[in-house]
Amino acid sequence: MAKVLIPTPLRQYTDQADSVELGGATVKEVLEALTARYGELKRHLYNDEGKLRSFVNVYVNDEDIRYLDKDATPVKDGDVISIVPSIAGGNHGR
Amino acid sequence: MIRIEKDAWRTVVGHAEAAYPNECCGALLGVCENGAKLVKEAVELENAFTGSRRNRYEVRPEDLLRADRAARDRGLDLIGIYHSHPDCDAYFSATDLKNSCPWYSFVVVSVRGGKVDHVRSFLPNPEQTAAEAEDVEIPSGN
Repeated sequence: MAKVLIPTPLRQYTDQADSVELGGATVKEVLEALTARYGELKRHLYNDEGKLRSFVNVYVNDEDIRYLDKDATPVKDGDVISIVPSIAGGNHGR
Repeated sequence: MIRIEKDAWRTVVGHAEAAYPNECCGALLGVCENGAKLVKEAVELENAFTGSRRNRYEVRPEDLLRADRAARDRGLDLIGIYHSHPDCDAYFSATDLKNSCPWYSFVVVSVRGGKVDHVRSFLPNPEQTAAEAEDVEIPSGN
């Protein structure tokens, strides 16, 4: 089982759980298990095309899956999966 | 509504003024109580934007991950992101909106001539097409 850490604002969709233990051999499988259990979460993580929203980054332990095998990254027992948004901006452009 | 406690606000002001004329950014840690957010700590993060930081900022996801873990370890939650707008109003720009996420409060601090002038907070929508203003309360005397 892997542990998925739930960002604070999304806990309203996970019955207030701050982490969830789920099975799955890859990141894709674990996230599918997560959104199968908490259906409301899906639209917050995925867009209408079923792809992770552009601002959603996923880490397995300390590694960004973009630099591993993306959502095919293998997950083993005890791994911690974090969902971290991309954030940037600035006063450039009204 | 987001309320920023004194020590956290002091950190935000100090960071925004020290970074001037560049933009600064950081994480706001605290708790949510009855729908109101209370910021207990502000954590300075490096502005990782690689071009001119006078009108842009970027948070490294791994820095945000570390801030989130530190918050969890202390029984706090990551509830907001702050950044500064040097010599500019605390509005939510097109760049802010396009690079935002709808999960957190975005506190924008206007810095004029090196001193914090005013602050506003925004809640972007999931499509990153609009941001609603959120009431923000800072300690009196600031």
